[in-house]
Amino acid sequence: MSAVRQYELIYIVPPETTEEALAELQTQVEAITQRFSATIEKTENWGRRKLAYEIGPHRDGIYVLHVINGPAALVTELDRRLRVFDLVIRHIVVRVDLDLAIAERARTRRKASMSARRVRRGLPPEPTEQERIRRSEDDDDMDGPEMGFRGGDR
Amino acid sequence: MSDFDNRDKGGRGGSRDKDDKKGGGRRTFFRRRRVCKFCVEKIDYISYKDVKLIASFVPERGKIQPRRISGVCATHQRALQRAIKRARQIALVPYVSD
Repeated sequence: MSAVRQYELIYIVPPETTEEALAELQTQVEAITQRFSATIEKTENWGRRKLAYEIGPHRDGIYVLHVINGPAALVTELDRRLRVFDLVIRHIVVRVDLDLAIAERARTRRKASMSARRVRRGLPPEPTEQERIRRSEDDDDMDGPEMGFRGGDR
Repeated sequence: MSDFDNRDKGGRGGSRDKDDKKGGGRRTFFRRRRVCKFCVEKIDYISYKDVKLIASFVPERGKIQPRRISGVCATHQRALQRAIKRARQIALVPYVSD
């Protein structure tokens, strides 16, 4: 009955956590998702990272990301359970399917309008390999990511 | 004679430049090309996980950089704001720092 949605779950555990404890926690999470007949699409361990601010005594943490497809009821349960675990120092669940769908739509719309413009100018709808090479050579206006983008510095 | 003329002209020109600076200098002081980074680079989804990207809009102090300084368009500033606030919850970006 309930619709399947995509969520991202991130939690932080202390850096001194043993592998077994982390694996144990992950099986717990899996057990919860299975109970709601949800599936874990992807699991990523970001490893040890510095926290942007101190959470209690912690300055570093191990970040773990799960991408989960499941019903909304799963989120409330996950949230409740994760809050109880002492091991987890911070967690967040974010619904991503809507935002990703919007981004996907924007991308296809932009592609369509670009090819339409190109056809109007009498060019093939997709940029050819040669054009792509030329464009990357032209790009010397120093606005790329390597320049950073801090905006004005007042 | 001609030398003298030139020198005189130069002197006057110099003094006028100075006046200009005093008058309307403030506006032309720091003009940057203000374009929305997300529009230019065609970033559709601003993910809260992308710390490298987001951190460039959170200056030292930890506050979200205003649009008038970064030049981000309204749509993307809204998305960026949401991403930053989410990133703060899981300690990827600071709330405050000094």
